[in-house]
Amino acid sequence: MKILAPFQKRKTETVNSEIFSVSRRDFLKVGGLLTGGLVLGVSFFSCDDKKKNVVTVAPNIYLSIASDGKVTIIAHRSEMGQGIRTSLPLVVADELGADWKKVAIVQAEGDKKYGDQNTDGSYSVRMFYRPMREAGAIARLLLIRAAAKEWQLPVEECDTENGQVIHRGSNKKKDFGELVETAQSLPIPKVEEIKLKDRKQFNMIGKETAIIDLHDIVTGKAVFGMDAVVEGMKIAVVKRCPVVGGMVKSFDDSKARAVPGVIKVLAIKGAGLPATLSKPLSGVAVIAENTWAAIKGRDLLEVEWDLGPNAAYDSAKQIEQLKLEVAKEGTIRRKRGDFNAAKTNAKKVIDHTYVAPYLAHATIEPPCALAIVKNGSCEVWACTQNPQGARDVVAEALGFAVEKVKMNVTLLGGGFGRKSKPDFIVEAAVLAKETGLPVKVLWTREDDIRHDYYHAMSVQRIVATIDSQNKLSGWAHHIAYPSISATEDLSVLQASDGELMQGATDFPYNVPAINVETHDAQAHLRIGWLRSVRNIPQVFAVATMLDEIAEARGVDAIAQALELLGEDRSITFEQELVKTTYPNYGEKIEDYPWDTGRMKKVIERVAKESGWGKTMPQGSGLGFAAHKSFLTYVACVVEVKVDQNQQVSIPNVYYAVDCGLAVNTDRIKSQFEGGAQFSASLALKSMITVKNGQVEQGNFDGYQIIRMPEAPQQIHVHIMDSDTKPTGVGEPPVPPFTPALCNAIYAATGKRIHTLPIDLKA
Amino acid sequence: MKRFSTKNRGRLGHYAQRYRFSITMTILAILLIGIVSAFSNDSTHRVGTAAAIEVKKDSLKSLAAFKTVYAVLQSPRCLNCHPSGDIPLQGDDNRLHAMFPKRGPEGKGMLTMKCANCHQSENTAGLKTPPGSADWHLPPANMKMVFEGRTAHELAKQLIDPKQNGNKDLKALIAHADDGLVKWGWDPGEGRTLPPFTHAEFKEAWITWLTTGAYAPGK
Amino acid sequence: MDTIRINKKEYTVAVDKEMPLLWFLRDHIGLTGTKYGCGVAQCGACVVHLDGEAVRSCVTKMKRVIGKEVVTIEGLSEKGDHPLQLAWKDVDVPQCGYCHAGQIMSAAVLLRERPDPTDEDIDDAMTGNICRCGTYTRIREAIHQASAMQKNGSR
Repeated sequence: MKILAPFQKRKTETVNSEIFSVSRRDFLKVGGLLTGGLVLGVSFFSCDDKKKNVVTVAPNIYLSIASDGKVTIIAHRSEMGQGIRTSLPLVVADELGADWKKVAIVQAEGDKKYGDQNTDGSYSVRMFYRPMREAGAIARLLLIRAAAKEWQLPVEECDTENGQVIHRGSNKKKDFGELVETAQSLPIPKVEEIKLKDRKQFNMIGKETAIIDLHDIVTGKAVFGMDAVVEGMKIAVVKRCPVVGGMVKSFDDSKARAVPGVIKVLAIKGAGLPATLSKPLSGVAVIAENTWAAIKGRDLLEVEWDLGPNAAYDSAKQIEQLKLEVAKEGTIRRKRGDFNAAKTNAKKVIDHTYVAPYLAHATIEPPCALAIVKNGSCEVWACTQNPQGARDVVAEALGFAVEKVKMNVTLLGGGFGRKSKPDFIVEAAVLAKETGLPVKVLWTREDDIRHDYYHAMSVQRIVATIDSQNKLSGWAHHIAYPSISATEDLSVLQASDGELMQGATDFPYNVPAINVETHDAQAHLRIGWLRSVRNIPQVFAVATMLDEIAEARGVDAIAQALELLGEDRSITFEQELVKTTYPNYGEKIEDYPWDTGRMKKVIERVAKESGWGKTMPQGSGLGFAAHKSFLTYVACVVEVKVDQNQQVSIPNVYYAVDCGLAVNTDRIKSQFEGGAQFSASLALKSMITVKNGQVEQGNFDGYQIIRMPEAPQQIHVHIMDSDTKPTGVGEPPVPPFTPALCNAIYAATGKRIHTLPIDLKA
Repeated sequence: MKRFSTKNRGRLGHYAQRYRFSITMTILAILLIGIVSAFSNDSTHRVGTAAAIEVKKDSLKSLAAFKTVYAVLQSPRCLNCHPSGDIPLQGDDNRLHAMFPKRGPEGKGMLTMKCANCHQSENTAGLKTPPGSADWHLPPANMKMVFEGRTAHELAKQLIDPKQNGNKDLKALIAHADDGLVKWGWDPGEGRTLPPFTHAEFKEAWITWLTTGAYAPGK
Repeated sequence: MDTIRINKKEYTVAVDKEMPLLWFLRDHIGLTGTKYGCGVAQCGACVVHLDGEAVRSCVTKMKRVIGKEVVTIEGLSEKGDHPLQLAWKDVDVPQCGYCHAGQIMSAAVLLRERPDPTDEDIDDAMTGNICRCGTYTRIREAIHQASAMQKNGSR
């Protein structure tokens, strides 16, 4: 079982037919090793339709309607702050015509029957908007048929509204609950029979809906991975090898065992090299009655390591080496025209090298998983983004059939791609099997910062040429960073197609000569994906260079972007790619083309909303960047103020976004607000460095996250009105913010930024 | 990680006006320029009604002692809680305290960011954990007793100026050497460097300086 | 007998007195609303009220807590209707939600001491609470709103 990066995944699974063919008797089959003993939050896993005299009908795997009127909708994607536990169920409810107040949301366990559950790549709404509508529409038609049958009226004259089927002519109304028994006797409508609602019939889609977990969150009742508790549960804290690929040689646990509350000390077999995207690191686990004892015991462990070949790794040295590398010729991955000729004929050449550091996810809830192994079965509760992947990997690690593993999904205290990787879940499962005890593996913050799947550091060089007509005539983008693929296969030394698609090979501008070249960069850490992935460094380089080019040409940055995008049309890249594909975020380019017109419209909108072009006071400036990622078009203008102490403050951020039809506008806005803050952290504060193969930071003192006094103060999000297929918004806000900020800093101070995080005092 | 060290100033700028002078330059200045006694002309400085503490003026002895005193007071363990702004410093590079807690009127922090909300009555175990001591605090807002950026001359004058030292007389000043928070400087917890002299050396130098006229090195 | 009051309930403490309050709350009495985020008083996810102060429970040892009064997010209000909780819901502040117990407990101390806080007061009070999802603009809005609710006597 391999865990795939979001952009390696192909949306080949046609959700509809497969999902809707699953037996409705499968709806919410509850069972598990310890269902009785669970002490989980009531509202999260509540399943009280087993109450007496309540019967239900489940038209498909995603919902059921009970005779007391309650509609239960399955949330099968993981909730990590993007609001998906609300936004997809509301689509079902809206299409059904349900009364939202009578809707209960139940989190699905990891099971293929729900379709794709791998929650990343800003996939959820894009992939499931239509299936969710169909799920709701099937139920709606079923209930309408039940009412029509009872009333002896034509189906066509009935409709649903607010949890009732209504017949407008006669003003007859029946609650959904009253129709359940009749509905049970009817065949489930087929997808081909339903008619989806018109946009103007929507009550919830396109509007603001508050997240369903609000009350639980503000009262402390929400259950995250950290909060899963079962009877007799023990806590494990693991000392992992500080160098990736290193292994435990021997250990002395006498002091650890002497800590009151410590029960067992066990080695965990690590993957070695390659480190993989799924297996644990080599380490020693201390299992104790409580977290405090486990942490104290772990601190007292004495472990001798075989540190392996990465023990000499120094990230600063590798960056210096890659700077030399990108000055040479690389492997050509995209080629248009003759860049060398453009350079020879250039009136002006701009040539810069861009450096961005390793980043850690630092989800505010560190990785955590609870497992029980009993009688050849395993049950897990985990904050996982990828419950099916985790289930497969756990089964493989335990030597169990997949059906013997039950993967319950809790709320995630942040994900950002970290919790796509199930290494921490495997740790819990393996320890539970070996000890026969329910074990919760808790990662401390230091564990999280030091043993992450890091966003790779990168060195890029862009050479831009301006010809005698003052046109941008050539663009060469050199790229060097360890690839995510190297975490599974160390022979991979250059960026993958999926990584290059994120801000490099998808360069959409009308430039006669384009080269995209990759260079070797060896991986020495576990490289993973972090919210918006390679778009972060690649768009940082591309969009700050474009600003510099505009200045050199003496044209406005936004006017230049519109000029270089050219006329409204769909553009493709495949014909210019060299031994490289264009994965288009897992979609066919015909389904989701690169539309210059849509991009120009968001740029024009952000220019208008931000007052682009206005005169700014001394020490202030506006900066612009635009980028399409995860199939969503985003333009961003950042306003900065830089004081005499070189302190940056960000009074305003303006976004315009075209994500197709907007499903839950409040959560779209919140993703953009959070995306700006996430990007502000990485632009201004965060950096992972490695010496002697070991990460130098360990907690929020060293790996800093932006705090309120320095955070962007107002974030204005403008959503384009659209009827097109919806696309995701979890990641697209992140990439353009950082270069827009850099460009704003230039406008305010005259300083160009080529290295992240921004250090104006350097 | 030095590159992050000063990044937090800023929006906090008015708190973060910082003037850095090297200690060696200051000591050099002491040697080159004339010296003045910090106390008034009386050869004996009488303290309230309590027993008098004998002050025997001796400028050379006093100045020599103050070198030790100044070196200690400028060490991170002492200076970090005597900042020029209203945000304490941390680390051997005297960077602004992460998350920018502010002094507050009594020097004990303010609102949710009171010192004792994180700093316990003893050091927390482990590296990069909150240090602690009973009554962890900064000097109060009306008596900031700034060490940061102060030359030896300025600091000497300031230390014994009742208007700037919280109305401390000689006796109280001497007693301050044994204050719990002052002594914490020599038991600062894992990973923190110690002042350049032992507490005993410091205390001896402090008392010597005070009782030999508390001379301030020249400007 | 060593006892503490947590959310108006008496508890007898029979654990290592060096144990941080956070783990007593979470592991021993099942109050999991208070979160672990860093363990070293950096992030604010574990803020609870100890005799009314916004202490970081991850570094506050049980020996300091004995004989004192603790309030956690579960005890901030009986029905989840503290003005801050209502404002948080009204503004739809949380994203993942993990840090918000700590955010709300900090904000509660702020509002007690500054019933009508300025933006700078909010910065000063909330700077110890990290929100990795980046809900800072909404936190500020909700605090202002709760302050207005308090003033208008809606509670």
